Amino acid sequence: MSVAPANDIAPSNKKLLLYEASTQFKNWRYSGERLVHIRATLNKAAVAAIRVKIETDEPGSSKDVFFLTPDDEVLLVKLYITKIGQLCGFFRFPEEVEATAVTYLKRFYLQNTVMDWHPKNVMLTALFLASKTTNNPISLESYTSHIPKTVASDVLDLEFLVAQSLGFEFAVWHAHRALWGIWLDIQNLSDSMQGLTPEVYDAALNHVRASRLTDAELIYTPSQIALAAISLVLPDITSQWVATKQLNGSSGLANVLDDIKAMISTHGLTPDVESVREVDRRLKLCKNPEKVVGSRAYLTRKREEEMIAEEKRNKKLQKGNVEQDPFGNPLRQRKGLVDYDDDDDDDD
Amino acid sequence: MDAVEKANTERQRRWVKDKKVGEGTYAVVYQGREASTGRKVAIKKIKVGQFKDGLDMSAIREVKYLRELKHENVIELLDVFSSKTNLNLVLEFLDSDLEMIVKDRALVFLPADIKSWMAMTFRGLEFCHRNFVLHRDLKPNNLLIASNGVLKIADFGLARDYADPGYKMTCQVITRWYRPPELLFGSRYYSSAVDIWSVGCIFAELMLRIPYLPGESDMDQLKTIFRALGTPTEEEWPGHTKLPDYVPVGQFPKPAMRDLFTAASADTLNLLSKCLIYEPRKRITAREALTHPYFFALPYPTFPSKLPKCSNQFSARPLEEVDGNVEMNASGPGVKARSLKRKLTPDEVEDRRSIARRLDFSKHTPGS
Ligand SMILES: Nc1ncnc2c1ncn2[C@@H]1O[C@H](COP(=O)(O)OP(=O)(O)OP(=O)(O)O)[C@@H](O)[C@H]1O
Ligand SMILES: [Mg+2]
Repeated sequence: MSVAPANDIAPSNKKLLLYEASTQFKNWRYSGERLVHIRATLNKAAVAAIRVKIETDEPGSSKDVFFLTPDDEVLLVKLYITKIGQLCGFFRFPEEVEATAVTYLKRFYLQNTVMDWHPKNVMLTALFLASKTTNNPISLESYTSHIPKTVASDVLDLEFLVAQSLGFEFAVWHAHRALWGIWLDIQNLSDSMQGLTPEVYDAALNHVRASRLTDAELIYTPSQIALAAISLVLPDITSQWVATKQLNGSSGLANVLDDIKAMISTHGLTPDVESVREVDRRLKLCKNPEKVVGSRAYLTRKREEEMIAEEKRNKKLQKGNVEQDPFGNPLRQRKGLVDYDDDDDDDD
Repeated sequence: MDAVEKANTERQRRWVKDKKVGEGTYAVVYQGREASTGRKVAIKKIKVGQFKDGLDMSAIREVKYLRELKHENVIELLDVFSSKTNLNLVLEFLDSDLEMIVKDRALVFLPADIKSWMAMTFRGLEFCHRNFVLHRDLKPNNLLIASNGVLKIADFGLARDYADPGYKMTCQVITRWYRPPELLFGSRYYSSAVDIWSVGCIFAELMLRIPYLPGESDMDQLKTIFRALGTPTEEEWPGHTKLPDYVPVGQFPKPAMRDLFTAASADTLNLLSKCLIYEPRKRITAREALTHPYFFALPYPTFPSKLPKCSNQFSARPLEEVDGNVEMNASGPGVKARSLKRKLTPDEVEDRRSIARRLDFSKHTPGS
């Protein structure tokens, strides 16, 4: 993964050092080009693999399929980012949960494609996981019972996959927190106090929220995003503040802020429902059949998995026999005892 | 196989489990090694299948914080992978914990040794607090000791962050004997000061060689604290009578600490009493503690590799084994969890005592 060459700004040096030690800083920042490349590569590999599977299912049928493009995938994910917001409102989750779930969803689709895993399901798991990692857990039962057509296994089946895709790195640094820090700091500018009303803060916060619909957090630091959001509302005070901070590479910073502002205004909008619907329609025809329960490809894969498992069991049984034989013990005899080995069942 | 699953399998293959060395409330711990280098590790296997809400909160907290915190005095999380329905945390292997050391009657502690353990604890804790992480379960058994004597804070299953001051939190944390009075009174807006209280209790325990404030129930815990430190006055701790679960538990006079810690230096008692200040906001912080005169006065802290060491380590301790004398119907995880709790007979403790440390007896100041 490459790291964006942008200079960071932060309200305090201490915080900055902590941020730079975070997994987010080390593992989850990209350049814009790198994001395009990752998505194109994932998309291409998925299309090739699914084409083969569709052909095995029904020869000749893949040429009529319009696979999703990387942009289609991004669009669909974006729609489900907005759904996270709706669900969080419903469950009255704090902003931290929403922001974290959105980050999880984006990070997930830098390792996986929409054609393998529909964002509808991944979103539900990401949100449930985020409620736990931010220490706002609710029971799975009350979670699923309030979401139509959803059962516990829809959420749990993907939990490991989502956690793995995140590299088990659950801590996320958010722009809305950085915004609060900068907001407090800006109030120290002697002549800027008037104009710093709660309405202004809310407007800046709304820009931070809009940035969640974009790639900003995968490219820039939370404080850069927060500063861009404030600067959309209070351009003069923001430049004044930046000047007093004498941040190194201030000219570079101006470019960064312009980039983020452009991103927020052009991409920070809820996607148009019609175009998403069209993508979703096509997805029905091109999703990985191995993951469609009941399809021929699905059954083939299951059969293969079972054969491998069976083989493993047989091997284990034989191994057990060899160990038991010298003592002349019939295999059964051990069964009633506490089976200490059952903890090791995943070791082979 | 998906790329993500494949990566997980590759991670799994990097580590080999060798033998079971312990069992916690929600996990089984194995000794293992890195396949390519032979480096010794601990693998903590958490069975997720048994939780109806998926990955449980302790596991999530432990992974979340240990992934971010890298410090000499915080246990290192080397890797995480899943296998079937289990989550596996690969941790650096640590030989023993401070509880075992405190209980090992064969070991003699010099004041310099205690200073060394305290310095390492405060360094690790200062780092956690600097990262806005509260540990919330500090006790000797969660301070692990590496083979070179370095102390590492472990067990982040109850940790949380507190970036938002004034955010309501649960008061049901910290093992009772190490729990500060504000939590016992049900305070929901606490701070890093809760961990400092626990460290104070550990500090005292290192000198006394028995738990300092061993209450028998939550109510008795308050009484035990007040008996040892005097009932707090309104002046000492403004507003404490307004806390949610406040109950008067009797008036106890404030005894002189010196009466109990007879051999402790003035610096020692000064730092100890600052860790045990009732008013949480006045309690010393980890950062302040590190610059306390105690750490700069003679004797200087013992070098970690020279610290008293348990000869009976986690890996060497026998688990209570089955040996065929388990009842035929006594199967199932409940029984297993109980019967596997490691235990040493007094004889074994005796056998494994460290001869080397006995030589130090001559220099020993009792109770210091
Ligand atoms: N890093 C490690 N190196 C070596 N042994 C370890 C390590 N971590 C844990 N152990 C062993 O495994 C046991 C269980 O550890 P764990 O922290 O999961 O639970 P615990 O502290 O015993 O119980 P609880 O979960 O109630 O705190 C420890 O007591 C110790 O014997
Ligand atoms: Mg423990």
